[in-house]
Amino acid sequence: MKFLSYIVIFLFGTACSSEKDDYVPVTLENPKLEFTVPANFPEPSYNVSLNPPTEKGFELGKKLFYEGRLASDGVVSCGFCHIQDFAFTHHTHIVSHGVDGALGTRNAQPLHNMAFMKEFTWDGAAIHLDLQPIIPITAEVEMNESFSSIIKKLEERPEYVKLFSEAFENQKINSENILKALSQFMIMMVSADSKYDKIERNEGSVFTEQEAAGFELFKSKCASCHAGTLFTDQSYRNNGLSVDPQYNDLGRKRVTGLDEDLHKFKVPSLRNIELTFPYMHDGRLKTLNDVLDHYSNGMVDSPTLDPVFKNTDTSLGILMTDLEKEQIIAFLKTLTDDNFVADSRFSEF
Amino acid sequence: MKKIILIIAAFLIVLSCKNDDNNNGGSDNIEKFGTLTLDFSNTIEDKTIDLERGSYTNGSNETYAIAELKYIISNIVLITSTGEEFKYPVADSYFLINEAEESSKEISLTDIPEEEYTKIRFGFGVDQSKYPIESGTANFIPTAEENGMLWAWAAGYKFLKFEGTYNTIGSTTSNDFILHVGSHGANLDNYKEMTINLPSVLSIKEMTTPNVSINADIAKIFDSINTHSLEVKSDVQVDPVNAPIIAENVSTMFSITNVSN
Repeated sequence: MKFLSYIVIFLFGTACSSEKDDYVPVTLENPKLEFTVPANFPEPSYNVSLNPPTEKGFELGKKLFYEGRLASDGVVSCGFCHIQDFAFTHHTHIVSHGVDGALGTRNAQPLHNMAFMKEFTWDGAAIHLDLQPIIPITAEVEMNESFSSIIKKLEERPEYVKLFSEAFENQKINSENILKALSQFMIMMVSADSKYDKIERNEGSVFTEQEAAGFELFKSKCASCHAGTLFTDQSYRNNGLSVDPQYNDLGRKRVTGLDEDLHKFKVPSLRNIELTFPYMHDGRLKTLNDVLDHYSNGMVDSPTLDPVFKNTDTSLGILMTDLEKEQIIAFLKTLTDDNFVADSRFSEF
Repeated sequence: MKKIILIIAAFLIVLSCKNDDNNNGGSDNIEKFGTLTLDFSNTIEDKTIDLERGSYTNGSNETYAIAELKYIISNIVLITSTGEEFKYPVADSYFLINEAEESSKEISLTDIPEEEYTKIRFGFGVDQSKYPIESGTANFIPTAEENGMLWAWAAGYKFLKFEGTYNTIGSTTSNDFILHVGSHGANLDNYKEMTINLPSVLSIKEMTTPNVSINADIAKIFDSINTHSLEVKSDVQVDPVNAPIIAENVSTMFSITNVSN
């Protein structure tokens, strides 16, 4: 009889531990991560306070990023096309690869400084970082999976049940938490430790003569679009690439439906540009030399060609000598952040 | 004796865990809550639409048959005569109405404060300004996905999926029509909110099961503030001209036909 009373007392003690009571120990075990805005960076577009990265949330996001179960074939994870060594691009792959050898139509973009970007993908089809992963996850030619199926697959894995419960107060495996964890991982991927950054922040580095000349040229010839310390004004522009009939990619028009947006693509950041070849939305240009050759004498006119490329003498493009191109490329290489691509926090293994 | 103790214990344990999230501030003044069912009927000329055999004629004299009708209802708010608003929790406030699925046309709401309400407000689609910022809204993704309400190439929702076949006057060949309305990108926002007066007072009480009947006059998708002719545009998907026209029409198609307390 006494024994029974003990049980009753014990049950009382445990029965009422609500989630709120658990909250305190969870925070202790799951400390917030410091999201630091580099001194030479603008304020982030991502509202970090609404999804503050935590140790467990970040760990979960990273695990999901490299998780093949997010794809229908169990293999093609986010990290499959976004490889850290190449600033999270698909090195040498012209267009993205998906399940069962499917080919996408666009080049996988690098992932860095995502917290500072307003819209995502080459045409701005995602207006928030939390939404972006929906596109590659559900696209037939990419990961070809559904959220309902992913949730089911993750629920079967004890390690995920544990991680979700540690990372989120409501402890649930659901699409909201999957997307939030991925964002926590991605917003921490800040690349701000290149030679250029060290010079901009007066940390002791100096440009070589060639790089300094390249920087001056860059400012006058490129920085109207590749603006600011992120090296993009985040606008959509037609930069005079001929239309590849294989894809006939509408560009920004696919999102807005507006004729004026036909064949316009997001101005990409140039950070780590040395590593993220091939270039352009469809990966058609292999080297930085090819890119500058395109800008100096490879452009094709069309109704939506950006006016910035139309010269008063009716020629198209940006005038550059071979020497100037070399100098600009030397400058662009100062945007490579070796610490970022080697940062073990973001590595799969 | 043992049994009794066990029963008491079990009872106390159950009782002691009653969720008290609904108590605002934990004062002694206990607020009571009730439930509400919203019944949606999709009609044309006051008759429930028929996906199998229905043949309808729009204002542009085009006859059409409907194969699929789905739309998203969200952000439900109940308003009292003094203007006080009860906002249903955003995370639980996204619903897919699918004409082909009876259960989807009955929305059950719970934990509504006891009150007399005279107006209802709800949204058509997903409010971009709230999504995905407000907690929980991303959890609508699986439902939308299963029902083909996500744009395949983008990260946004289709608010309306209205498909079928149509004939123009004097023509015997029928063509498909596809009307998809949603927001895409940051520029095109087709989300609409409607505030509608209730024909009689809705009184929410703890033990009752009140019901509000909402009629959606589907003919208004073609003919209302604007006229949409299928011959002019039968395929509306990412359409900055026609999608807003249809979204405006949709915002006029709802009315409350009955309140039962």
